[in-house]
Amino acid sequence: MPEPAERSSRRSFLQTCALAGLGLVGANGLLQGQISGLGALGSADPDPEVPNEQIARILKELFGDRPINKGHISLDMPAVAEDGRIVPVIIESELPMTPAHYVKAVHLIVDHNPDPHLAAYHLTPALGSVALQTRIKMKRTTWVRAILETSTGEVWAAYAHVNVSLNGCG
Amino acid sequence: MTVGDARIRIPDRIARGDLIIVNAIVVHPMDTGFFRTAEGQPIPAYFIKEVVVTYGDEQVARFEWTSGVSKDPIVSFTLTADKEAPLTMVWSDSKGGVYRQSVAIAFAAA
Repeated sequence: MPEPAERSSRRSFLQTCALAGLGLVGANGLLQGQISGLGALGSADPDPEVPNEQIARILKELFGDRPINKGHISLDMPAVAEDGRIVPVIIESELPMTPAHYVKAVHLIVDHNPDPHLAAYHLTPALGSVALQTRIKMKRTTWVRAILETSTGEVWAAYAHVNVSLNGCG
Repeated sequence: MTVGDARIRIPDRIARGDLIIVNAIVVHPMDTGFFRTAEGQPIPAYFIKEVVVTYGDEQVARFEWTSGVSKDPIVSFTLTADKEAPLTMVWSDSKGGVYRQSVAIAFAAA
């Protein structure tokens, strides 16, 4: 069920990728590319765009106006998922799990799934570390977001782009 | 295997203070509500909504799931084994089903 908004966001995503390939878009965009020159090539990896209102609403409800920056969390998923019914997910973070400062939640969001906010993991210091594994369903090729929130209110994200061969959502 | 059968796997030998990996699986169809039977009848949504993990008297984790988690859902996480106590998981589904499994965390003799 492609909507015009989705098509246009894919187009702009492709444009962003093309620019990134030319080294024009660094972590902070064009300016950084000009200042740091070749150094920007290593970070030419833009965040995925928010593809539609639904994802924007989910992010707003979870994190308000806090910035969502990359770092302190890893999201390991296959680049190509042959079977969208069973796609492995590994989420890890090196952040401390102490009563004073711990990861209190990890949210898993699959942009183009029928129910994008797929899972929320509420954690406590008793776990000792953040190392979660599960298996999920994916409808089609899309970005997946793993976003954590700490007990002190920090928000950190990791993204994975997964190509889905067989629709796992019906 | 019937719906709600569950298993929790922990290491065989645990010493006090170990960071252990806990693996858990529950048998469940995790129906999305988007599929139909071969006869064309819609299959209603039926999935695990919540998992609560308790270690001794302490709730150490709670997971909120949707039907986007795969059939027979697995989850793994870590736990600091700092006391001899039962580790209990309770899975609750969208039709009111509640499934419980428990393992004893005990320390190996030195």
